Amino acid sequence: MLWVSESKFRFLLVKNDQSQQTGVTTPVKRGDDAEFGQHSREVAYLEAVIDNLPVGLFAKDAADDYRFVLWNKKQEEITSIPRDQALGKNDTELFSPDSATYFRKVDELVLARKRKFEVSEEIVDTPESGEVWLHTIKVPIEDVEGQRTLIVGISEDITEQVHAREQLAALNDNLTEANQELQTTQLQLIQAEKMESVGRLAAGVAHEVKNPLALLLLGVEYLSGGIDPSDPNVEEILTEMREAVDRADKIIRGLVDFSSQRQLAMVPTQLSELVERSLLLVRHELKKDNVEVEKRFAEGLPDLKLDSAKFEQVLVNLLINAIHAMEDTLKPKLEIILASSKLQGLERDQGLRTADHLRNGDEVILLTIKDNGGGISTENLQKVFDPFFTTKATGVGTGLGLSVVRKIVELHNGAIEVENRLLGGVQITITLKVPKSESEQVDTKEGMQAQSSQVLLNKIKE
Amino acid sequence: MVRRILVIDDEAGFTKLLKMNLEKTGQYEVRIENDSMKALNAAHEFLPDAVLLDIVMPGLDGGDVAAQMQAEPLLQHIPVIMMTALVSQEETSQDAVAQAGAMNILPKPVNLDVLLRCLEEVLSQQ
Repeated sequence: MLWVSESKFRFLLVKNDQSQQTGVTTPVKRGDDAEFGQHSREVAYLEAVIDNLPVGLFAKDAADDYRFVLWNKKQEEITSIPRDQALGKNDTELFSPDSATYFRKVDELVLARKRKFEVSEEIVDTPESGEVWLHTIKVPIEDVEGQRTLIVGISEDITEQVHAREQLAALNDNLTEANQELQTTQLQLIQAEKMESVGRLAAGVAHEVKNPLALLLLGVEYLSGGIDPSDPNVEEILTEMREAVDRADKIIRGLVDFSSQRQLAMVPTQLSELVERSLLLVRHELKKDNVEVEKRFAEGLPDLKLDSAKFEQVLVNLLINAIHAMEDTLKPKLEIILASSKLQGLERDQGLRTADHLRNGDEVILLTIKDNGGGISTENLQKVFDPFFTTKATGVGTGLGLSVVRKIVELHNGAIEVENRLLGGVQITITLKVPKSESEQVDTKEGMQAQSSQVLLNKIKE
Repeated sequence: MVRRILVIDDEAGFTKLLKMNLEKTGQYEVRIENDSMKALNAAHEFLPDAVLLDIVMPGLDGGDVAAQMQAEPLLQHIPVIMMTALVSQEETSQDAVAQAGAMNILPKPVNLDVLLRCLEEVLSQQ
């Protein structure tokens, strides 16, 4: 059975062949039987080809209210509409009003532009299979006189791909959610560890505040006896009092900043200033244990993008660890070194835990803290970053200190390395990447804009 | 009679104001030593009637200085008043003070009236 009317089919073949001369273009029964036999075999052959195409093929006559004149087998499968029901009908009679309106709009666009139009994804309501996703290409085919146009379409059923993609997106959403939860938990852990440090620091900080208070009280006592304008002490006392207020304020502010709970807030920061602030917080401990501090800070180091409160937690933690490690040292000495460097010879197994973020040739700042305490046994050196690992007595520490330190350093895309010094003691090195210069950042931004324009273009094309 | 007081405390500003306050009374002559390592020398040179001694200091702490003074025949009779900004009970317990050979302990911030009374008391027992 022929499934297109002869005249329509002829019309197709004429255009496809681009020639009116060949017999193929004349499907109407005419001439001798041999000729017609040859012709009908060709038609049957074409019919078989079209029916066996792995894509849906259809054609509508624009001049006849876009009624279907071609509907292959695959199209039957995709739409679950049999060919005999489809031929001679238009979209309005076959599909939901929304789909029909949409198809008509595309058809009219194809007709008006007289060129191919591709719809990467469209959805069609089918009576049996429900919603089916299609990738469709439509082309206008005119007859030789340019009087009539067929809209010929090829549709591929991409429902499975779309569903797979949707499932993948849902999985991805779940993963993102889980990741966010993990990050929240990590931040909570960091905060819990920090509050423990605050507890440890509180007595020391109180001591550091009481000293300026003691000075202030003495100043008040002196001045409350009446001020003698000729007394040279008065000016000196007032200066000392002012400085004492500043000092107490700085220490308390430091503790408040340190204990504050925030999400990560990376801002350009001078690492040396953070080191100084952290030293102020542990000043009492340094003094109590008589620790000499040697600072060697390279000049003119660039700002780093840091969350200052969290990074201060890292520094305070490392400083307190170092001070504790030197309890039995005769002349405890802490060396703190800040230097810039270009990363070289980076190997994954060198203890640079986040090597993904650091690459050879990167400009980095190295923060080194050296103590001259007892060092760490080779066995324990492997475990220092493990959560709950501690060499301190039960109840003295949670054992979370260094694991949280490493987490915070990693959140800054940095690396931390712990090693024993040749002559005793521990050396800790933190490697932090220097952010790229402003101009490079702008480049990246433009690159991203270009990329999103491409995405937008693709969307328009769709 | 002007009494000689040796103040041993690493807080330079605090000791300076303490000296001004004590000397303003006209009853005391004050010498300051901010470096606890030099405390014993200062005590030998100055031979004070009383010592005001901080506890937390770099180098030697207050307990060490008091113990050193105890071991010196020339210095062991000098009354010591300890001053501290420490907050924990443990750190400032009278036991620790007794151990350090001090008779009194005053918390920082030091109330000047309390300090003066304390000084009068320990000096009157001389």
